[in-house]
Amino acid sequence: MAVHVSAPLSGTAMGLVDVPDPVFSAAMVGPGVAIQPERAPGTVVAPVAGRLVKLRPHALVVLADGGRGVLVHLGIDTVRLDGEGFTLLASEGDTVEMGQPLVRWNPADVEARGFSPVCPVVALDAATGAIGNLATGPIDAGAPLFTWN
Amino acid sequence: MPERRVTVASQVGLHARPAALFVRAAGRAGVAVTIAKAGSSPIDARSLLAVMSLDVRRGDEVILVAEGNGADAALDELATLLATDLDATHA
Repeated sequence: MAVHVSAPLSGTAMGLVDVPDPVFSAAMVGPGVAIQPERAPGTVVAPVAGRLVKLRPHALVVLADGGRGVLVHLGIDTVRLDGEGFTLLASEGDTVEMGQPLVRWNPADVEARGFSPVCPVVALDAATGAIGNLATGPIDAGAPLFTWN
Repeated sequence: MPERRVTVASQVGLHARPAALFVRAAGRAGVAVTIAKAGSSPIDARSLLAVMSLDVRRGDEVILVAEGNGADAALDELATLLATDLDATHA
């Protein structure tokens, strides 16, 4: 059964290939879509319903039906911010609904500190051909981002 | 079965780039490899989701196990990778 992955935040959808980190641009962790976020305080929401198996300030993984893990990475190399500027709204292990608020952050602050705030949304361990209906251009949080077949 | 015990050197532990590099190397190893922390169940080293969920931090000791032809060579390569700070080249 296909998993419909929605945008975890508002911004502009773009190909992973343009993300300034080879881990994502070369799809080493899996295929997906990146979102260039609006430069304003924002809320990151769950891209799918499932279990929040990983919640760090700068990255999270929601495990959907069928054991499919969706990774949302908030900015590039932002592990180095050590959580500063991120407010967690859920706990690791929680069962979450699609669209449920998970993290508050400000992409403008991340950028001001010298990091790219672009957010890769990745189908972990998936083959490149396993995702389709990739969104491009302006997108609102909760809108369809890609389908994982 | 051949195994290696190795202390993870990467600053962020087995997440993000280090995890991706490790999983990719495990996928190319040609033999099935598992990774475990002391006291945890071994998981498939080729699954990024499983490796990230294992939540390995810098300084943690992990146990790699493989079986079959080339198991020792594969374990040596993966152990070397884990003992290297994979973030060091990307400041």
